[in-house]
Amino acid sequence: MQSSYLIGGIVIAMLATYATRIIPFLLFRTREPSPLVKYIERNMPLMIMVILVFYALKDVKWEVYPYGLAEIIGVSVAIVLHVSFKNALLSIFTATLTYMILIQNVF
Amino acid sequence: MMNFFAIFKLTIPVLMGYIPLGMAFGLLLSKLLIPWYYAFFMSLFIFAGSGQFLALTLFASQATILEIAIATFLLNLRHTFYGLSMISAFKNFSWKKHYLIFGLTDETFALLKTSEIEEQHRERAYLIITFLNQCYWILGSVVGAVLGNVVPFNYEGIEFSLTALFVVLSIELYKKSRLHQPFFVALIIGLFGMMFFPPQKMLILSLCLAAFVLIVFKRSMQDAE
Repeated sequence: MQSSYLIGGIVIAMLATYATRIIPFLLFRTREPSPLVKYIERNMPLMIMVILVFYALKDVKWEVYPYGLAEIIGVSVAIVLHVSFKNALLSIFTATLTYMILIQNVF
Repeated sequence: MMNFFAIFKLTIPVLMGYIPLGMAFGLLLSKLLIPWYYAFFMSLFIFAGSGQFLALTLFASQATILEIAIATFLLNLRHTFYGLSMISAFKNFSWKKHYLIFGLTDETFALLKTSEIEEQHRERAYLIITFLNQCYWILGSVVGAVLGNVVPFNYEGIEFSLTALFVVLSIELYKKSRLHQPFFVALIIGLFGMMFFPPQKMLILSLCLAAFVLIVFKRSMQDAE
């Protein structure tokens, strides 16, 4: 691949990515966000986070063995540990370790 | 004052996710016979996980500059929602907030939004979190590009730490939120999106749908407060 093409592509990808991140800040730089925007700002993060969980699971093949069982168990471990002990690192470590053992040795 | 180690601890789940994901990116880059230092520059200047994978795919098919611009913009459009949720948080920060905006990936956004840091230390802590995350990402992608397939241990599945991170942060935000319906609405939309939306458009479609429902049902959600 030509280096001029690669460099051009990287610069464009950089600008396009940065644009998506800076748009809201440009829109509300001078004027005060309306109550509607503040309402979205307050409630959207929770929705984003929940949807990101499903996004992270989007490539799981639910219809073939092991039917996403490793992912379901991993997510359940994270939920149970976090609700019980409220220790983020413990929940994430244990869930990841469980998942790794399951996909490497069990399924 | 929050010390460096306390901040580092917050980023460990991202470290566990970004190193293997970055390595997968570097590996793909080396398979396309692109020199390894492009992995470094892409992770330094673009800093978007799925965006960089997409860029490689587009490079491989010799896409035009316009195609690269449109596809990248659409893929990363979800970040607009992240920025929207950070307007007040970044409001009183210095010019350095431009680095925070540049570095607002899925994972950085998740950490910043849920971290509980006293206001006077917040800007510094946010900068360190974003910087550390980008370091992990750069490190992973360069190692992947240089080493290729030679990896000392079987780390298959370690990227699940990002899934677990999102699960944990959802619970944290749920506990903090005054309104609880958005959580259940998002559960339904996420499940629906995962099952029925095309995978590569699932995130942006689900987020738009979520914003739409949030706005349309504003009154009934707030009445329940």
